[in-house]
Amino acid sequence: MKRNKTLAVVAGFAMAGSLAACGGDGGDDNAGDGPSEFIEAGSGFEKIADATGPAPEVEGSQVGGDITVHVPLDPGPENLDPTDGWSVLGNSIQQALTHRSLTQYRRNAESGDMELVPDLATDLGTPNDDYTEWKFTVRDDATWENGDPITADEVKFGIERSFDVENFPGTPGQEYSVKNIDCGEGYTGPYGDKGGDCAGIVVDGQDITIKMTRPFPDMDFWGSFMAMGPIPLEGSEPPAYGAKPLSNGPYKIQEFRPNETLVLVKNPEWKPESDPARHQYADSWTFKFDADQEKVDAILLSDSAESQTAVSNRVGATNVTKAQGALGDNFIQQTGQCVSYLAPDYSKITDIKIRKAIAYAFDYENIWLAGGQVPNVTRIPASTIMPPGMSGRKDYQPDGDQFTFDPEKAKELLAEAGAENYKLSFIYDDSAPELVDANAQQVKGFEAAGFEVEAIAYQEDAYELFGNKDNPINKKLNLRTVNWCSDWPSAYTMIPPLVSKGSQYNTAFFDEQEVQDRIDEIPTLPLEEQAGAWGDLDEMIGTEYLPIIPTAYRNDLFGAGSKIGGFTGDAAMSAINYKDLYVIK
Amino acid sequence: MFAYIVKRLLAGMVVVVLISIAVFALFWYGPESPARPVCESKTGGKCTPERLANFEKSLGYDNPIYEEYGKYAKGVFVGRELTIGTQRIDCDAPCLGYSFKNNTLVWDDLVKRMPATVSVAGGGALLYLLLGIPIGVAAARRRGSLTDKVLVSSFLVVSSVPYYLFALLAWIYCTLVFEIPVLGSSGYTPFTDNPWKWATGLLLPWLCLGLFGCTQYTRYTRGAMVEALSEDYIRTAKAKGLPASTVVYRHGLRSALVPVVTVFGIDLGVLLAGTIFTEKIFEIQGIGLWGLNAVVAKDLQVVAATALFGAVVMVISNLVVDLIYSVLDPRVRLS
Amino acid sequence: MDWQTHCLDEVSMSTPTMGSETVGHLSDEAVPGDEPPAKKRQVSGKSPIQIALGRLRKDKVAMTCFTIVMFFVLIAIFADVLQNLFDVTTEPGNPAQQLNPMNELLPYKGPPSGGFDPEHPFGVAPKTATDNLAVWLAGCRTSLLIASLATLVASIIGITLGLIAGFVGGVVDKAISFVIDFFLTVPFLLMALTLAPIINQRFALKPDLYEKAQLWSLVAILAFFGWMGVARLVRGEVLSLREREFILSARVIGMPTTRIMIKELLPNLVAPIVVAVSLMLPAFIAAEAGLAYLGIGITQGNSWGQTILRASNYYDDYALYFWEPLLGIVILVVALNLLGDAIRDAVDPKTRR
Repeated sequence: MKRNKTLAVVAGFAMAGSLAACGGDGGDDNAGDGPSEFIEAGSGFEKIADATGPAPEVEGSQVGGDITVHVPLDPGPENLDPTDGWSVLGNSIQQALTHRSLTQYRRNAESGDMELVPDLATDLGTPNDDYTEWKFTVRDDATWENGDPITADEVKFGIERSFDVENFPGTPGQEYSVKNIDCGEGYTGPYGDKGGDCAGIVVDGQDITIKMTRPFPDMDFWGSFMAMGPIPLEGSEPPAYGAKPLSNGPYKIQEFRPNETLVLVKNPEWKPESDPARHQYADSWTFKFDADQEKVDAILLSDSAESQTAVSNRVGATNVTKAQGALGDNFIQQTGQCVSYLAPDYSKITDIKIRKAIAYAFDYENIWLAGGQVPNVTRIPASTIMPPGMSGRKDYQPDGDQFTFDPEKAKELLAEAGAENYKLSFIYDDSAPELVDANAQQVKGFEAAGFEVEAIAYQEDAYELFGNKDNPINKKLNLRTVNWCSDWPSAYTMIPPLVSKGSQYNTAFFDEQEVQDRIDEIPTLPLEEQAGAWGDLDEMIGTEYLPIIPTAYRNDLFGAGSKIGGFTGDAAMSAINYKDLYVIK
Repeated sequence: MFAYIVKRLLAGMVVVVLISIAVFALFWYGPESPARPVCESKTGGKCTPERLANFEKSLGYDNPIYEEYGKYAKGVFVGRELTIGTQRIDCDAPCLGYSFKNNTLVWDDLVKRMPATVSVAGGGALLYLLLGIPIGVAAARRRGSLTDKVLVSSFLVVSSVPYYLFALLAWIYCTLVFEIPVLGSSGYTPFTDNPWKWATGLLLPWLCLGLFGCTQYTRYTRGAMVEALSEDYIRTAKAKGLPASTVVYRHGLRSALVPVVTVFGIDLGVLLAGTIFTEKIFEIQGIGLWGLNAVVAKDLQVVAATALFGAVVMVISNLVVDLIYSVLDPRVRLS
Repeated sequence: MDWQTHCLDEVSMSTPTMGSETVGHLSDEAVPGDEPPAKKRQVSGKSPIQIALGRLRKDKVAMTCFTIVMFFVLIAIFADVLQNLFDVTTEPGNPAQQLNPMNELLPYKGPPSGGFDPEHPFGVAPKTATDNLAVWLAGCRTSLLIASLATLVASIIGITLGLIAGFVGGVVDKAISFVIDFFLTVPFLLMALTLAPIINQRFALKPDLYEKAQLWSLVAILAFFGWMGVARLVRGEVLSLREREFILSARVIGMPTTRIMIKELLPNLVAPIVVAVSLMLPAFIAAEAGLAYLGIGITQGNSWGQTILRASNYYDDYALYFWEPLLGIVILVVALNLLGDAIRDAVDPKTRR
């Protein structure tokens, strides 16, 4: 999942969906004496296949009221087509409020952990022995906002749609449907001349059976994406459908203006009994995208009438202490299973000593601070490719100790490599003062470590640039960045996208046959061995090649006004848990 | 008179056309293909050269600029059929194109957003006059006194603060810190939905615009009044023993107002063309914010439409100003 | 009479130097207060300029404002000398050591929580720990530099076109007037927003030129949309001057047109031009600060506009940081405006009674 635009030098997108369950609301200790320490995620992540609707009531919940969600510095989704959704923000909103799929996440009120529970399916699906076939039963009491029942054919149509590379390139379907679901070679979805029926998906009454091209034990996780939900057979042509798709969750879309607002109102056709996790407490939701960070912080901290029913998707790091004092339990420090990396160009910087020198020359804390991030609160020093809390993760250090800013050591490494005054070329975004300031610290650090620096200001999307081989700017670069979060708690959604050849997010252009072979091999191993194998691979890549330098595990800060109840984080989505929010009268 | 208006409108049309061509040219000859943002957006950032070529073709951006502009101009009058990738859209006249970002017809959005901008601009501009003229008159009557200097320079100080900061702080203090009733709840509600809410919600934006923009009216009125009050006919009036207020308001202000009203016409035009700062800070979804977002998203059709709209408004307001001027000041003859 | 400070509002954003002169939009009539001084023939031997200077010297407000403006100009010129003198630098600081992450990234030492810190007389900035004094000094220089360059460019364009239009007349005048009208109709902000990234992108590959390119593109944007006022003013003046005896006689004796324009006309235009320039400067200084909010402007160096943008959310937590650049701008802009008014009054005897 991408994050549309984040405010950090190592900017760009991130993919989301994680296991790390960390309430970390930090509000239970003495308010005002500083943010609590980062709490490492426990890996509690249960699958409750027999969960049924209606969802357990949230303690103290009340019905009614209007909630306004402010979203600073993020333009929000460009369209609402469920097949298109692959962003932390868009998916967390739509999956919680408007669009259902096969499975979903629910927060366990007692443990605070997220659980995988059924959504439109009656259970979490039944795989065959080698996970090459999954069978789901679509429940018969779920309806669209117009009252029509949701059919298995519509679910099939939705899955087929996710194959459509022309209408939906760069969507999760291209990553997970195309690679795992067997619709035949070259299948491109239901539209167009070549389009048609997917023989690998068989519908029988309310049952839907999906054939896989290879063992795919994670189908139940993949089923939680709204791309794996139903799409009406008529009137759903892309891209027009994305402007106002038909809802089937507890809320429907009243108005959507990209970059500006999304207004949701109650969907009277949604039946609580049909849904094991969602609620319909508030009367309406208003999302305000691309909001001004200062303004949102000011709203939240004021406890004015305006702020009491407001929610902020991002609390400015420079207001952490105040927010914690003012908001108490409604201030959440949420782990995201998102990691930032430096990606030295593997084809240009061939000596691992230079890559290590870069790791020592990156002035971690100063760069974070200048960028408005707080070390150990929103940015945690990182060492492994896999984020904490991911099963199979090995806690290792690529170079013995945690990389810290050590210009002398960097100089030594450069001298050993015979690459004194090595020239680093990278881009930075100069569209906001914080980004410029953070880059100034980065340049200062690299220069102190004996590098020569060429920092190129670039305001457009970095990944588009990195993916464009002919771009003269891109040709010049030898140091790039990448931000990544897992799509679900498996290294399968972490390591392959970052280091396998040809992946869009392999911005280091790392290419080693040994690693590639192992990436292809692990998914074929017995299920119980896979997690450990990914952990070993992570260590092997980090210590032998260090193609990407993990710089930080990232946390998000959410806040809500005093009349918002049930305010928790959704560790699975790295977002606010919209499903449980209500307004206190 | 009629011939004059026709002549001016024709000249205005030339200006409008030139401006829309300029916007087209900016995108066309910019550093990247105008189809690229569309392609990036529609492909989720996976815009390969082949896809880009496809989009250029379907959007017509591979044609020479004059050809495409011709189609665009024709569309304004007779409508056209648009294609974006595989999507086909019927765009009836007046067709200003299709916003790839919003997935809407540009003309529909323009109509939808106009009331907000008109409301903000109209109220703000009215306050220019309501605040600026009385203060300017007061200052002129006490010319050279401390009151005069304090009035003039205090408004000068206000308008030296960056406008966004002024509006932002005004909003923060009125809404959050002091929670002033009425002023504290700003936002746009359509007039037809609820006139009371429309007025109260826009009060703060109007006041910000008005307080900030009235400075020039204060100074202008003051200057014109000083000038007018020293004219011979005023002295005659005074000598005749007319009351001071009559002299000031009936004779002095009247002639001083002529130029003020004409400045006002221009300013109103500029405001109507898009109150970008005000709309951004007060989250009002009008033309200004629309244009700003379109520039960021590189949504050519919307940028062109907002520029076109702004130019049309400016041309009309210039013309109206000149007509009013000729009515107010008989010395001016239109030709 | 005034095409000044309101520049940050939408009003003047569209035409920063627009104002009274647009009043004469249709007619060539001079606006009250803009009465050309040249028309008032002085009986004594003093030139109008000398008389105006004499008046200015006696005007207390004008002299105070002049002193303030000179003070800022000197700061701008000697910014680096002053930085050395106070031993401060605009280099980024060391946030990890100087700032308190448990206190909204505000500095440990000095304001706002502590007292005066002699090493950093203006304190250090939150987040970056850069020295505020050094940034302020550099900001003064950059802001004044941008405004001066923009004023210079706008004046040159405006004077040249105004002279030609007014003097040559006919088709040339019509053409130039059309161009002026055209630029007055262009939605300034929208164009600036579209143009700025294009110009920046052109220079992205030359990081060493990027900073200069940004500065010049801002100057160009300001100047391109600010020259129309001067052009109109000059054109109007020339129209009334060219029928005068001394010009007619110069023509009769066969003086070349360019020579007439430069030798005969220009000296008579000094006063209105000085007025125009003195009011354009503050408009551009304020415009730079306003445009920064929309991301148009220099991101590389330090300008007051950029500092204000950075400081805008510290109005409460770190008032000193917030007020330093803001006061700089407000004082300078007000002083320049009042000085401009005084100059106008001085060269125009009518409003001086």
